[in-house]
Amino acid sequence: MHFRRILACWATLAIAGACGRGEPSSAAGAAPDGGTLVIAEPGDADVLFPPLTVSIVGHQIADLLYDHLAEIGDGMQTIGDQGFKPQLADHWTWAPDSMSVAFHIDPRARWHDGVPVRAADVRFSLDLYKNPKLGSPVAPLLTNVDSVSVKDSLTAVAWFHAKTPESFFNIVYQLWVLPQHLLDTIPPEKLATSEAARHPVGSGRFRFVRWEPGSRLEIVADTGNYRGRARLDRVIWAISPDNNAAFTQILSGDADMLENATPDQLKAAAGHAGLRPFLWPSLQYVFLGMNFRDATHSAQPSPYFADVRVRRALSMAIDRRAMLRNVFDSRGAIGYGPFPASLATADTSLRLPPYDPAYAAALLDSAGWAAGANGVRAKNGKPLAVRLLVPTSSAFRMSYAVLVQDALRKAGIKVDIDAEQFPSFVAKQTAGNFDLVLAGYGTDPNAGGAKQNWGSTAVPPAGFNYLHYRGPAFDALLDSASSSFDPAKAKAYAARAYQAVADDAPGVWLYDVVSFGIISTRFHMPAMRADGWWQHLADWTVPADARIPRDRIGLGAPKP
Amino acid sequence: MGRRVAARLGQAVVVVWLVATLAFILVHAAPGDPFGFDAPNVTEAVRAHWRAQFGYDRPLGTQYLLWLGNVARGNLGYSHSMHEPVRDALANALPRTLLLMGVAVALSFLLGVGLALYQVAHHGQRRARWAGRVALFFYSVPDFWLALVLLLAFAYWLPVLPAGFPVDMTMHAYMTPGAALVDRVRHLILPALTLVLLTTASIARFQRNELLEVLPLDFVRTARAKGVPERQVLRRHVLRNALIPTITLFGLSLPALLGGSVFVEKVFAWQGMGWLIVNAIGLRDYPLVLAGVLVSTVLVIAGNLLADMAYAIADPRLRVD
Repeated sequence: MHFRRILACWATLAIAGACGRGEPSSAAGAAPDGGTLVIAEPGDADVLFPPLTVSIVGHQIADLLYDHLAEIGDGMQTIGDQGFKPQLADHWTWAPDSMSVAFHIDPRARWHDGVPVRAADVRFSLDLYKNPKLGSPVAPLLTNVDSVSVKDSLTAVAWFHAKTPESFFNIVYQLWVLPQHLLDTIPPEKLATSEAARHPVGSGRFRFVRWEPGSRLEIVADTGNYRGRARLDRVIWAISPDNNAAFTQILSGDADMLENATPDQLKAAAGHAGLRPFLWPSLQYVFLGMNFRDATHSAQPSPYFADVRVRRALSMAIDRRAMLRNVFDSRGAIGYGPFPASLATADTSLRLPPYDPAYAAALLDSAGWAAGANGVRAKNGKPLAVRLLVPTSSAFRMSYAVLVQDALRKAGIKVDIDAEQFPSFVAKQTAGNFDLVLAGYGTDPNAGGAKQNWGSTAVPPAGFNYLHYRGPAFDALLDSASSSFDPAKAKAYAARAYQAVADDAPGVWLYDVVSFGIISTRFHMPAMRADGWWQHLADWTVPADARIPRDRIGLGAPKP
Repeated sequence: MGRRVAARLGQAVVVVWLVATLAFILVHAAPGDPFGFDAPNVTEAVRAHWRAQFGYDRPLGTQYLLWLGNVARGNLGYSHSMHEPVRDALANALPRTLLLMGVAVALSFLLGVGLALYQVAHHGQRRARWAGRVALFFYSVPDFWLALVLLLAFAYWLPVLPAGFPVDMTMHAYMTPGAALVDRVRHLILPALTLVLLTTASIARFQRNELLEVLPLDFVRTARAKGVPERQVLRRHVLRNALIPTITLFGLSLPALLGGSVFVEKVFAWQGMGWLIVNAIGLRDYPLVLAGVLVSTVLVIAGNLLADMAYAIADPRLRVD
């Protein structure tokens, strides 16, 4: 009970700190510039090159060192340009037919090596992102952007294939502007392993200092930045071999922040006066997915889950809320459907199959899966025995696997847990070598983002529809959502699309990924954005009276 | 002697090739590949493009020949887990492990042999029995358990030493040379102490048994009969003759410590070779795993060669070809 009280108290504090209120602006504004944030990070960056980076730390570095043409607002609105704030472009002008938009580059903008940012950099960046030799995972998200032309040295015109509500979002959110003068001599296929990908030069409010792979990564405030210097002097990622070692750094005071803390770590940190939790939402959700194809003969339909009655029975045999409490205590966020609740188009009022074991049993009976003598249902002599694929890298999903196994056992379904290391998990998931999977999907904040996971055209290798789910109604409704210029209408269409998926019951929506971090109380942080706690890191501050020796390092370069 | 060395080197090359080939087959037999990492927004098509870019879509035999050719030219490839050339990844990790191993091996052999001498010099006495019990205790405890206990004892309960990492990750780069040296030594103490306690115990027990076997031999009795002081008898006559098996142990301990330090590196966040290779195996970083295997194999062979050379120093009879 004590632990529950501690967690509840911490959760209240964390939510208050993260959900919109943040720190009073006066307190943050009063603090002088300076301070060092040390992040204890169990995973290193991959490449420090925005078009190719896929790791969390890599994305953090990209967001902090590089600029977009415009910045999405905290409301994550993706339709039109409402809510977007100037970044590299100080203003923009739409063509009358909305098929192009002219971005005027802020003339004060400079790369960290002092070279001015120019419109040609925007054109170069788009061409590079779309170059098939580079193989950027972002390229498919830029398909509606035809090209960028240079009107003059400070005006870049982006041209679109079609007039869509998210044309502006596509070009400004997916594209980081890169320095042409440093990259255009490197063949695109060599960029991933080039020195340029290890020593990034951007235009953001932080600039790169150094990266020792597996050890540390350091950035400092760009004091001459056109958008104003970062309030902190420096940020250091101290790379730990694992999460426990990272937590050790926090407890010993060697680091200030751990972005993903386990319940045990939150409990242990609760006794430390200098630490507090913080909550950060994400655009990821986890669900129990049912493969529509046969796990061993992918050309054939699944002998179990091709039947919607079986899928709904599984959904009704699982007590999602009880499992959530079991795994996360009071910190979990229930899943509401095939989307994260932080998405602008999320609808938390979808009709989902309720927990009803008796109804689930009746559905299985009606589908021909009769109860057997050994407790396992069977149909025409074939037992209802399935394999549940789960990655060992996720302690939460591993816990869920055991709970799901037990819940389905009670419904007469035999579940063998296939726990795999992440590379093997990915290989099996991609090949469709599973009956059930505890899958984690991430989505873009736009209305059409769900298409990559649930669209009929998104089965591998084109997308992430690993279940081979095909819902014509979903496809059509999501297309309508994507093509609607009215945010309210887009949300309504998206809700109907999600409901279509929920009715087909291809998955059991278990939880949204809501992470708890631990941070030193020295830091004042503004409200966080759903696509990353670090988005406003340049505005974090440390009050002068709370500073410790490492906050006073200053801006000097480290020893070589 | 020259022919013997040449023969040993020839054998070494064959052993390295066999081990590397076996490792190549095994690492590719494991499910997954370097591009199976956790990235929900990377499509299979993009992963396939990257595989092709690095040649992982080619037949295994072709990959093997290409890899062998590159290794023969000194090109160990590019590490997908460390995102730098493999040689750079090794160049960063190997010195950390060698520092830890070097200190641990040197201290544990000195202390182990010293403890064994102490036990033999006081054979049958209570203090020798106590020393034996202490050695037996450390000989018995698992390495990760001892590492955790030392971590708790000296980083939490009595917080006098840092909890992990080879250096202070934040301040080290901004320290004066003197302060940086002290920082490095402070971070070395706990992981090195763990390895020293574990290894010293086994060496001491081993060496003590050898010493006790040599003690009753005729030449020892002769030395005593000639009036040689007991301390000199032990050091000059008994120890030198009892050292040969311990030297073998020394040769074998180099690679064993490399492997054994995996747990210690894990507990103390010491980003050395053990951590590097375990991480690379988990991420299917083929070039780095294979390079790690090569380095380990070379260390085993070098350890054996060193032991052979040390035999000759310890026992003049072995100097004859």
